[in-house]
Amino acid sequence: MLSLLVALMFGSLTTRLWYLQVLASAKAKEAVQNNSVRLIPVEAPRGRIFDSTGRVVLVQNRMSLEIQVSQQQLGENPEEELLRLSEVTKVPIAHIANALRDKRYYAYQPIPVAVDVDPSVAYYIGEHQDEFPGVAVVEASVREYPNGTLAAHVLGSTGLIGSDELEQKAFEGYGQSDIIGRSGVEAVYERFLRGTTGLDKYLVDSSGEIVRSLGSQPPAVGNDLVLSLDLKIQRYAEESLAEGILKARGIFDDSTNKNLHANAGAVVVMDPNDGSVKALASYPTFDPSWFIQGLTNQQDLYLQNEFLAPQLNRAVQSAYAPGSTFKPFTALAAVHNGIATLGGSYGCPAEYIYPGDTSGTVFHNWDPSNNGYIGIDRALQISCDTVFYQFGGKFYSQWANDPLAKSSEPFQRDLRGFGFSKETEIDLPSEAAGLIPTAAWKEAFAAKHPELYRPDERHWLPGDDILMAIGQGSVQVSPLQLAAAYSAVANGGHLCEPRLADHIQTEAGALVRNLPKDCHRTLPYSKVELDYVRSALATVTQGSGTAAFAFSGFPLSQVPVAGKTGTAERPGFDAGQDTSWFAAMVPAGDPKYVIVVMVEQGGHGSTTAAPIVRQIIEKMYGIDPSGFVSGGVSD
Amino acid sequence: MDLVAGRAYAAERRPIRHIDPVLLIAAVTLSVIGGFMVYSTTHRGLEDPATYVKRQAAAMAIGLILLLVVVSFDYRFFKVYAGFAYAATIVTLVLVRTPLGSSSSGASRWFAFGGFQLTPSEFTKIALALMLAAVLSELRTFEPSLIDLLRITAIAAVPIALVFIQPDIGTSIVLVAILVGVLVVAGTKPRHLAALTVSALVLIFLSFQLHVIKGYQIDRLTGFLDPAKDTQTTNYNRAQAEIAIGSGGVFGAGWLGGTQTNLDFVPEQHTDFIFTVVGEEFGFVGSLFVLALFAVLMWRAIRISFLSKDAFGTYVAAGLAAMFAIQMFINIGMVIGIMPITGIPLPFVSYGGSSLMANNIAVGLLLSIHMRRFT
Repeated sequence: MLSLLVALMFGSLTTRLWYLQVLASAKAKEAVQNNSVRLIPVEAPRGRIFDSTGRVVLVQNRMSLEIQVSQQQLGENPEEELLRLSEVTKVPIAHIANALRDKRYYAYQPIPVAVDVDPSVAYYIGEHQDEFPGVAVVEASVREYPNGTLAAHVLGSTGLIGSDELEQKAFEGYGQSDIIGRSGVEAVYERFLRGTTGLDKYLVDSSGEIVRSLGSQPPAVGNDLVLSLDLKIQRYAEESLAEGILKARGIFDDSTNKNLHANAGAVVVMDPNDGSVKALASYPTFDPSWFIQGLTNQQDLYLQNEFLAPQLNRAVQSAYAPGSTFKPFTALAAVHNGIATLGGSYGCPAEYIYPGDTSGTVFHNWDPSNNGYIGIDRALQISCDTVFYQFGGKFYSQWANDPLAKSSEPFQRDLRGFGFSKETEIDLPSEAAGLIPTAAWKEAFAAKHPELYRPDERHWLPGDDILMAIGQGSVQVSPLQLAAAYSAVANGGHLCEPRLADHIQTEAGALVRNLPKDCHRTLPYSKVELDYVRSALATVTQGSGTAAFAFSGFPLSQVPVAGKTGTAERPGFDAGQDTSWFAAMVPAGDPKYVIVVMVEQGGHGSTTAAPIVRQIIEKMYGIDPSGFVSGGVSD
Repeated sequence: MDLVAGRAYAAERRPIRHIDPVLLIAAVTLSVIGGFMVYSTTHRGLEDPATYVKRQAAAMAIGLILLLVVVSFDYRFFKVYAGFAYAATIVTLVLVRTPLGSSSSGASRWFAFGGFQLTPSEFTKIALALMLAAVLSELRTFEPSLIDLLRITAIAAVPIALVFIQPDIGTSIVLVAILVGVLVVAGTKPRHLAALTVSALVLIFLSFQLHVIKGYQIDRLTGFLDPAKDTQTTNYNRAQAEIAIGSGGVFGAGWLGGTQTNLDFVPEQHTDFIFTVVGEEFGFVGSLFVLALFAVLMWRAIRISFLSKDAFGTYVAAGLAAMFAIQMFINIGMVIGIMPITGIPLPFVSYGGSSLMANNIAVGLLLSIHMRRFT
């Protein structure tokens, strides 16, 4: 009986050993690797970013000195040592303590506590290494912006990967100390810019101490990104925008009895023929290099200020009522749907009332005088609201009376055809889609916000079409969407996806990948119709055009400028001053550039936006500067 | 002629001619293997890498001397002194709880002599086997009556209880195994054994309820029921041990080649978890070889139990066979994850002088029984 028991013992032991050592051995071998082999990532420098010439560096890397603390190797009195380190580096002790508490690091890993420190600090620590056991100064690659704040919104910032991002599929294979693009093209082209992280392999014992090296895999630098952005034009755009905004703040606004606030603005310069973006500016701006050392309190307060919102790219991420800059699209949609003809004449009185409307709703022209019967071209030149009110009114009648129109909503359909109400697919994050309101949208919106509407106004009304015709009401477009739509008018009816990046290349300059331009969407307008509108817009800067004063003295014979002013009401926002718009195509005959300028609370289009566009064009074409020629007419 | 034949007969029966070389070789081989394993797990980071091995070698030398001393005596001589040995061991078990004894992590288990530690519970096993065999062999009946059974159990219960409250659950299990081994061989009725088992289970249950067993011991004991629960704390030892064993594969990483072993990932590796070194560095083949040596050891012990000239020898050999078997099974079983973790050394292989000496004494007793089976 005893022998039987013993035999059973041996049987069970042998079986289990067979399982562990023969059947499940591979898993255990893997566990041994995890146990005793430590992989320490070696950061690879990110790729650089160039402007359209491929020679001007917008973002590059520089070596900086970083102080790292290995907690396991701190001296006998860690608190005292860290206090001394805080004194030497001028990094608050709370910051150091926070960094050391970062759960993403293993105990054996050195944790960066101070980034981009002064070489003298590094030298001091090196000289007094015996006082700082476990503290090391290492070289780390950080982003450098040779042109300062220029194109900050386009380039974007970089930062340490967050623990939530580490879990996302998009960041598979990233380590906890990896730097990622946080905004701008740095974020969009992350996978190209990011290098391949190298690995140092070490054998460690159970307490995590390194026994010996097991070899390494060197890091590979990331690919370079070449943008279509032209740094010269970008500089012109940013300078002119900032200067124009400062000038606008000195202009008195009759309707609010205050100076214009001109709190913010945006510029888009685009090549209408392929959609490549030549300049993209947003004001106020920020310095992407702030993020390298970590934000100071002041920088943080500035960046977090909701009214300033310096990191918001207003050219792309915000949508506004476009005002009269919208009229060319209303005109084309009206012609396309048989509501108007290119040869027709339309009354331009001071007021418009929707036929049959007995509610007493009166829509006013900005100009209190009667301008008689005029063609669409003239209506665009002098920006006659009442002509477009009629078009909007007719769109409403069509919608209300024609069951086919009721379901297809041709006005909205054609406006959406210009790319409004959805993202342009530019290579920048968090784009605003804007809004072209529809009957269904209004009913849903009114149901959600009944307080905004009288009970009998919670459905689609004539006024909705009428106001949409002049880019008011609930219509919202981003400056970029407007630039893309004007580009379609300029290039003969092709809607392009705006593009900032041109191609990806290796550090040595070999092409990795071209980023294709996409202008394949063709609009349903004839060349005659588009040429007609463009010619009409060319008269806006001349004679009695709304931007004629802003362009007075400009050599239009050399550089003909087609454009459209816009003055969009924005009740309830800050001082309630108008959004100033100007959208231009230069040269008017065969446009090479579409330029859109928007200034929040900048007053009339001709007051702020048109003079800014004029300055940009002057700089681009080397025309003698005119200063800031503001004003003339009220739209 | 008669005289010559008579002399030849006597010479034929001289004990030294009947020593059991197989048993001796198996025990010594296991000790030597143990030395290499102890070196592998302890050499790193020591000024003299052989520090532990030297101590182990010294203990082995002392053990072999003790073995020779025991062998030179007729085992029946120990029957006379079994009572003294038993009493002495009870006294030391009590003394170890006084300030004379040393303790670590709440357990009072050994006496410190200079650089050496003497663990009385190791010797208690031998003394108990001798005592039980002595009492049982004096019974006049063919099989022990219920009264005898209770008497025997009471004799065993004293040291078992003393060891249990040290607390050293592992050794008390070994003592129980010795009791059971001796009782089975002595022909105890199965229903009596069953009754004994039931009362033991009740006692264990009560000891849990009364918190005689410490919390960490319960955790370690029950950890093996749910090994995936928390590999970092309670089951860390177990997980690391299994990883070490498993990573050895069929042929192992070679002596000093195991990373788990050499980088200190397995705690208490030179004592309770010594078998992980065998598993990692010599693989399935090496593990089977060590198991085979133990099989030889047990086969010889059981064989001696059968061959013994008298009942005392039979019972002693049975008790010692049970002792080796349960220690081997619990130790290797816990290392490979089929038994709960209880701190029992692997006989001959684990680092520890008292254990090695006690095991050598046990081998000496077995040899003595084997040698004198004709006289």
